[in-house]
Amino acid sequence: MTRKILLICSCALLFCLKGFSQSLPVTGRVVAALDKQPMAGVTVSVKGTSNGTMTKTDGGFTLNVPAGKSILTISFIGYISKDVEVTGGQTNVQVALAEDIQQLNDVVVVGYSSKKQSELTSAVTVVSANKLKDVTANNIGTMLQGKVAGLQVVNSSGAPGSAAEIRLRGVSSVNANQSPLFVVDGIIGGNYDPNDVESITVLKDAGATALYGSQANAGVIIVTTKSAKQGETRFEAKISTGFRTADFGKMNLMNSNQLYDYQKEFYRDYIVGAPDNSYKIDLVKFYAERPLSLRNQDYNWSKESFKSAPVYNFYLSASGKTEKNDYYVGASYYKEKGTFVNTNFERVNLRGNSTYHFSKKLDVTNNINLSASQGKSYDYMDVYYSFLNMPWDNPYDANGQPIYVDGNSTFKWWSRDKINPLNTVQNSDHSYKGFDVNYDLGINYHITNWLTFASTNRVSASFNKGSNYVSPLAAGTYHGTGYIDELNTLNYGLISNQLFKFDFRMGDHSINGFVGGAFESSRNEYSGASGKGLPEGLNVLNVVSNNQLVNGYYNKYILQSLLSQVNYNYKEKYFLSGSYRYDGSSNFAPSKQYGGFPSVSAAWLASKEDFLADNSIINNLKIRGSYGLTGTQDIGASRYLGLFSLTTQYNSLVGAVPYQLASPNLTWESKRQINAGVDIGLFKRVNLTVDVYRNDTKDLLLQVSQPLSVGFETKWENAGTVINKGIELGINSTNIKTKDFEWNTDFTINFNNNKLSGFPSDIIKTGSWSISQIYRNGGNLFEFYMPKWLGVDAQTGAPVWEKLIYNTQGKAVGSEKTSDYAQATNQEVGSALPKYQGGFNNSFRYKNFNLRVSTYFNYGNKVFSNNLRFMMNDGHEPYYNQIQLPAGAKIWSGPGDTQATEPSPQNSANSTETSTRYLKDGSYFTIRNIAFNYTLPTAWASKISMKGVSVGVTADNVVTFSNFLGQDPQTTITPGSFATPGVSDFKYPNNRQYLLTVNFNF
Amino acid sequence: MKKKIFTFITLMVVAASSCKNLNVSPSDAISTNTLVTTTDGLTNALNGAYALLKDHIEFNGTVDQNNMYLRQFYHLSDFASDDIVCGQVTTDPLYYSFSLGHTPSQGNTRYYWYVSYKIITGVNTVIDAVEKSGKTDATTNQLLGECYFLRAFCHFNLVRLFGQPYSVDPNAPGIILRTNLTDPAKKARSTVKEVYDSVIADAEKGATLMTQPRGVQYASQEAAWSLLARVNLYKEDNTKAIEYANKVINSGKFTLATKATYPTMFANATTSPETIFCIAFTQVDDYGKFGSIASMIYSDGNSGWGEEYASSSLRAAMAPHPEDVRWSYIVPLKDGNGTVQKKNGIEVYYISKFSFQGGLPNLSSPIMFRLAELYLIRAEAEAKTGATAAALDDVNMIRKNRGLEGSLITTVPSGSTLLDVVLNEKRIEMAFEGHRTYDVFRNKKTLSKAYWGYHLAGLKETDIDLSKTPAGYPNLTVPYTNPRIIYYLPIDEILSNPLATQNP
Repeated sequence: MTRKILLICSCALLFCLKGFSQSLPVTGRVVAALDKQPMAGVTVSVKGTSNGTMTKTDGGFTLNVPAGKSILTISFIGYISKDVEVTGGQTNVQVALAEDIQQLNDVVVVGYSSKKQSELTSAVTVVSANKLKDVTANNIGTMLQGKVAGLQVVNSSGAPGSAAEIRLRGVSSVNANQSPLFVVDGIIGGNYDPNDVESITVLKDAGATALYGSQANAGVIIVTTKSAKQGETRFEAKISTGFRTADFGKMNLMNSNQLYDYQKEFYRDYIVGAPDNSYKIDLVKFYAERPLSLRNQDYNWSKESFKSAPVYNFYLSASGKTEKNDYYVGASYYKEKGTFVNTNFERVNLRGNSTYHFSKKLDVTNNINLSASQGKSYDYMDVYYSFLNMPWDNPYDANGQPIYVDGNSTFKWWSRDKINPLNTVQNSDHSYKGFDVNYDLGINYHITNWLTFASTNRVSASFNKGSNYVSPLAAGTYHGTGYIDELNTLNYGLISNQLFKFDFRMGDHSINGFVGGAFESSRNEYSGASGKGLPEGLNVLNVVSNNQLVNGYYNKYILQSLLSQVNYNYKEKYFLSGSYRYDGSSNFAPSKQYGGFPSVSAAWLASKEDFLADNSIINNLKIRGSYGLTGTQDIGASRYLGLFSLTTQYNSLVGAVPYQLASPNLTWESKRQINAGVDIGLFKRVNLTVDVYRNDTKDLLLQVSQPLSVGFETKWENAGTVINKGIELGINSTNIKTKDFEWNTDFTINFNNNKLSGFPSDIIKTGSWSISQIYRNGGNLFEFYMPKWLGVDAQTGAPVWEKLIYNTQGKAVGSEKTSDYAQATNQEVGSALPKYQGGFNNSFRYKNFNLRVSTYFNYGNKVFSNNLRFMMNDGHEPYYNQIQLPAGAKIWSGPGDTQATEPSPQNSANSTETSTRYLKDGSYFTIRNIAFNYTLPTAWASKISMKGVSVGVTADNVVTFSNFLGQDPQTTITPGSFATPGVSDFKYPNNRQYLLTVNFNF
Repeated sequence: MKKKIFTFITLMVVAASSCKNLNVSPSDAISTNTLVTTTDGLTNALNGAYALLKDHIEFNGTVDQNNMYLRQFYHLSDFASDDIVCGQVTTDPLYYSFSLGHTPSQGNTRYYWYVSYKIITGVNTVIDAVEKSGKTDATTNQLLGECYFLRAFCHFNLVRLFGQPYSVDPNAPGIILRTNLTDPAKKARSTVKEVYDSVIADAEKGATLMTQPRGVQYASQEAAWSLLARVNLYKEDNTKAIEYANKVINSGKFTLATKATYPTMFANATTSPETIFCIAFTQVDDYGKFGSIASMIYSDGNSGWGEEYASSSLRAAMAPHPEDVRWSYIVPLKDGNGTVQKKNGIEVYYISKFSFQGGLPNLSSPIMFRLAELYLIRAEAEAKTGATAAALDDVNMIRKNRGLEGSLITTVPSGSTLLDVVLNEKRIEMAFEGHRTYDVFRNKKTLSKAYWGYHLAGLKETDIDLSKTPAGYPNLTVPYTNPRIIYYLPIDEILSNPLATQNP
């Protein structure tokens, strides 16, 4: 070992010594063109050699160059590189670097390789850490909201530790995974902390994504973690702290008085069909049942259950570069308390990235990420009761403790079920823990000057444990017995990519690319147990005395692939790129496992042509086009088999239950993508990117609804096509830039339209609460299909729906009103997907003050506000609290009441059944984030031995403008378990967040 | 060094690019093709069919504890009857059985329909495999017979809930018959008569195949005969009904529970001498508040919702005989002074027929067939064929064992008919066990719901005057001609199977 180290050291020494032969020093100083401030960490190298150095804090550098004339290349990320001619021995070389506002020369990581921005032939958006860091969140999705054209981000839950849902260019899959593929440091999947992220690249068209073949239908998001940028060791520390409050959105519940007055409507003297109705409110009966004293009993359950909660985020990192070694070490700790009582999440993450340069030919990269998290979750029913319990019930006893109530309690309790969620929360625990480790090994070996072998590999393992415990003291089904369950999950996997990369240059022609293979394998193992009959005070499985149940199973997944790419360019003006990936997946039947995914893309950098050279208006013009095929196969294992599940028992003997219909021909969902785009740079300060696309997703992996009378709800089939067409526009503009004042604007917008075709017949999927969506040729994806609500019958007060009248050919020829819900006609009434969405962000700098305001908008989608089924229930559930009726709403008060919008509580049969009554416009505009930042003058910072200190305050989720009625227009857009896309149900509310952040660089 | 590196590269490349076996099998499921090749597999599939009567399986992507075959069977049947009163309005679809505000989209009928056909598909898979295998040994035949029985049982319960009574219109649309694996998924409804014919054929075939009884937790020859007695009674084939009732009664395998044992029979269904066939719930099937059958009709304060009670109408029918041991399943909730408590103005009389197996408030093994029903089937058929003495004997056989040995019925009371006597006895004896509505409507009678309860639309607590009979409300009576005596076919079937017509 020692010998090896010695050898390595002496090699290093020899390498260093080489530089000293026959050379003379050059000294100089690099400053920023704008403010003439010295720039540290700038790379200064002799062009065409590996001989280089970096500037010091004062911007100065010394570099030995060969005698005679040489050209120095001065480069720094975010600045336009400069070549300077020097003579050996020259001193005081002054270089001013200009900021590269348009970042055309930035290197962009596009998956298996990196390219210069100017060389890109496909639709790619890069978001730098700079633009990410204004939002402090535990997941990258939230940080990306409104920053990438075509990227839809939905924060559907505010529960501690929950992540955002991300969709790129609309939704093109239904039952397969629609979330973009995440690639971390060049390898699919992987764990990372948002603080460690250097940049995010979003690959949007097949020109870039087809390389990820069968996993790329939903786009690819490439996360690059930080690495050393400069020679000397740099430390960065960030401390954020603040608090969150629950954002109840458009759900204003009634207070005690409002509810009291509302309930008078239940006492209208009206019996349907009776001859002697007076239609007056019978106050005698009302006061007999609802004593006046209720007006003084006003308890705000949601306020008691959701409290403001602190958030902390600490981050410390060190990075540096030596001749042999680049390293980055980052540690972060994140902790949030949930707004709902007794919920929280904390996570600690450690990352070490290191690249060791053994020789000019061999680099070895070792990246390791360790993270551990734990938190407390919640029981859905507790949140449910926190919204629905009535303001007339006092949650606390005389001592201020959450009061115990159950069916045997003798005191008056108004709310529907005798449950105090605050007491239950106190007597239960829903905690989880997780540990995750990723290790990446990368090897780069330059076999010849044009051929490199690149191997990237990752092993990952994670262990998660969740448990639910209800004490015997809690009211409800486990009272007196207690309950505990535990679920342990072990995931582990391996990914390995072996590529041969080549790069030729011949005059004006340049050709590069790679060929190689990839292998991916993972396994998830689950085991758990539950039981009842716990002694008070103990909460482990060992002490359960009855109803013991165990469960356990595993899943396996293998993907193997061949992949290749060739890029050609001529004079760096004309670019052509082609790729091909061949994937084999374990998810399909043996004859259907393999598929090929080609792509081709081209670009013309017109601004390099003579006729545009030195054009004072257009400084960059690129026209791009791409065509390619990607796939989706992420539906879980064995979907093609006819299966009996063996997870049940009868009379203590194992039972097999029909579980899945066979679908032997099930195969890839494939997406043909065409994209055309143009990148325009104007006045050296405005970048405009426009892309138009058409994506045809064929052979949709769809769980096709079956007549229930076959004994199965659905069958996996490749059925139909979704065509997504859209236009995406991204503008970023430096509106004003002077020494003291700067104003930048980012604007993104994406119009997306989808059409269904190729279905053999209409497919109607009906989910929970009988909310249906229809898949019809020519129709939209996630199109709601339900009766139209027509309000109230002015004479009877009954709810009215629309009934269509059909002629003998089955065509609707007219309509009539019906108060019989079963007669109402199901109709297409709007889609859960928006017509357009985007972001508008502005940042201002005055001297050392920065202000950034990010907004996000979403227009044209429908959201089914399922809460209203309970909270605008016309007396069907008189012991639930209700939402304040919107302006203009009026409950029917007697025959001829044409102003009424809400049915009579005395004649409201089926009024809360699924209809457009609760289908609301989901459009919203939100001020996502306001960040105000002050950077201390360098002189002040250096007094405390700091290179830079900044202090900022941010407010997230500041305000949302929407006509929605119900909890939140931001609702899940993922079909499948628990939810129909576009259905808003009781959920953990989103958060408003206020943070103070201090950043130190030293 | 270089050589080593090249060896390493070669190894990596070979390792990564060599073809792996991509075939992965699920860990907790077995392919249908494999399952049917072994007797074990077939037994498991049959056990699974029984399990589906008690399990909560995933539906609409979620396991909703409300969803259980038996729980919904009892709700859909008995909440529509005059035996159970609603003490609380609710948006839960179980309320529609009280209010008759049925919709095709109500969650309970959707699940019930689905799981019924899942059981049928399971047994059809076994039937298909066994018949293809050509095996005819007694053990295999027992399995096969149970499959035929379960298919008949499920089809019959479906046609009771979704088709007109046979006696009202045998040619009305019944349900979709699934008797093989090859019919197309989209299929029209058979008529009520066709369904009855299929049910009888399946049950008869099952009866001849089952010769190796496996205990009352499983179907048996006598269970099939009991089903045949019931079906023929509904079909008004009284001769057949008597014939099959006789077969069971005379089999000598069952005896009526007595005055002493009746009060504990339902908590000990698997060991009661009266049980012919019950669905075994073991301790792990104690589903608690959200998912048990008992939780809507009984609560110890925490164990259930306890929102539906024994109706005043039923209690009035039983009132002349406080000594009747059948009162033991009607449990008033009393306060410290012995006063019966009220919920929303309705007296709380909990129902405990589905409780107290192993002492647990939510556990029981519900009885599908028991001997008492066979006596009452025979009594009804006898009454309809004019055998008055025989009918009264059968009624009195029941009464003798229920603490009414001093109040036997020797003559039909004036103002009443023999059929009324039998039906009244059956109402009390079989209360809450899913019989009442069918017995009323198939005999073309009118159900009277003129008692206080939240089936009355717009009822306010202060309207309730227990000393009076409610008047003026809609739905106080439900004649057999009311289209809402049966349920709408679930929306899923109508939307995915255009051949299936909806009920009017």
